[in-house]
Amino acid sequence: MNIKKSLLFCLAVAISGQASAHSRWLLPSHFTLSSEQGEWIAVDASASNEVFNVDKALSIDGMSILTPSGKKARPSSSYKAHRKSVADYFIGDSGTYKITNNASASYFSSYKVADKRQRARVNKAELKAMAPANATNLQTTYGLTRVETYITMNNPTENYGTDGQFLELLPKTHPAEIVENEPATFTFTYHGKAQAGVEVEIAPDGARYRNTPNVMKLTTDKNGEITFTPAQAGRYLLIAEYEQEAKNKALADKEQGGVFLTFEAQLQ
Amino acid sequence: MNNLLSTYASNISKIVLFAVASLLFTLSATAQASENSPATLAIKLELKQQQGEYHPPYVAAWLENSDRKPVRTLLLWRKEPKWLKDIRRWWRNVGRKDAALVDAITSATHAAGTFPLSFKATDDQQQSLPVGDYTLYIEVVREKGGRALLKQAFKIDNNTHKFTLNETAETGEITFTVTP
Repeated sequence: MNIKKSLLFCLAVAISGQASAHSRWLLPSHFTLSSEQGEWIAVDASASNEVFNVDKALSIDGMSILTPSGKKARPSSSYKAHRKSVADYFIGDSGTYKITNNASASYFSSYKVADKRQRARVNKAELKAMAPANATNLQTTYGLTRVETYITMNNPTENYGTDGQFLELLPKTHPAEIVENEPATFTFTYHGKAQAGVEVEIAPDGARYRNTPNVMKLTTDKNGEITFTPAQAGRYLLIAEYEQEAKNKALADKEQGGVFLTFEAQLQ
Repeated sequence: MNNLLSTYASNISKIVLFAVASLLFTLSATAQASENSPATLAIKLELKQQQGEYHPPYVAAWLENSDRKPVRTLLLWRKEPKWLKDIRRWWRNVGRKDAALVDAITSATHAAGTFPLSFKATDDQQQSLPVGDYTLYIEVVREKGGRALLKQAFKIDNNTHKFTLNETAETGEITFTVTP
């Protein structure tokens, strides 16, 4: 593993394993398209603290595009720079596309040696074997974080492609129907069931040029729903997290799901 | 011969009279039956002159009923399909849901000026709109320019209603008249 690769690995671990880490996001050039022949789109992928200002490129090797007919497609080309990755794709069909950049479910462990926190991408059993004898605060989380967005050409379709694994966002208001000053509702499921108590933050674009971040903070109700009203048209990043005790305590202490959804609120 | 001709002429005039009478009768019967004869919607639309680089605006005007359901697109002035999405509200609520409708009503854009327009108050299937509450929407979007969304609530009933829509950066004063 060369230095660059190991840095990237550390970054990936740091980003994935920590609630306080950078937000990961996809930002498509268009959310809404009208066309008879189809249109090209570009999607930026980055991890940053300022919403939609690029900072550290996300790997998009795992980017997947669910077409309106239910087929899975890959970007036609992509490029990874230091601060962002870019994927190109031709939107050829009418309907809604779901673009995801998810890893598969994995283990994230951490421990402390002399007050210094160490991280490793191993399960709890492996952690016990590898951690030094004086290590404390051994902690392992098993989870999956989703990074996703929707693009609609012509008439929207309910192409949400859920798989019943960990935390998922199921739009009740279609992502192409979110409008400033109008309420929108999303449902969150955990392992396929509506989940209460999911912490959700919704951050509007452009925090760099505002004194207050204006982040909406919500928690899902007993039906797993949040309802929010975007105060202005623009692009938003939704960040949702849910954590519970792991089922298999031999391999992890906690289980965790996360969702990063980028969407636009349209002009009235 | 003369006689014959005049009898013939008088027969023709009787037939014509009968035809006119029956036409009148039919018309008045229709009018009486008629919540069904559509009201007239007259719009005097003014697209403002603009400074600098100017592209004629895309314009859509449409009606939504009291359930906010679009019932009729009155006009659509536009260019290629790729720009339809920029007529944001019309595209979201009307255009993208009905490709056939978009094909049926399209017409080219117009440069700044005043346009007296008149429409029958029917739905997209040419059926008279029933008495009730409606909203007229007019959306004007200029490439490399501004956007204006105007709306005016109105009633279709047996009365005449006149409205004046205030000027915006894209439109001058617009008058809107509903005549039963």
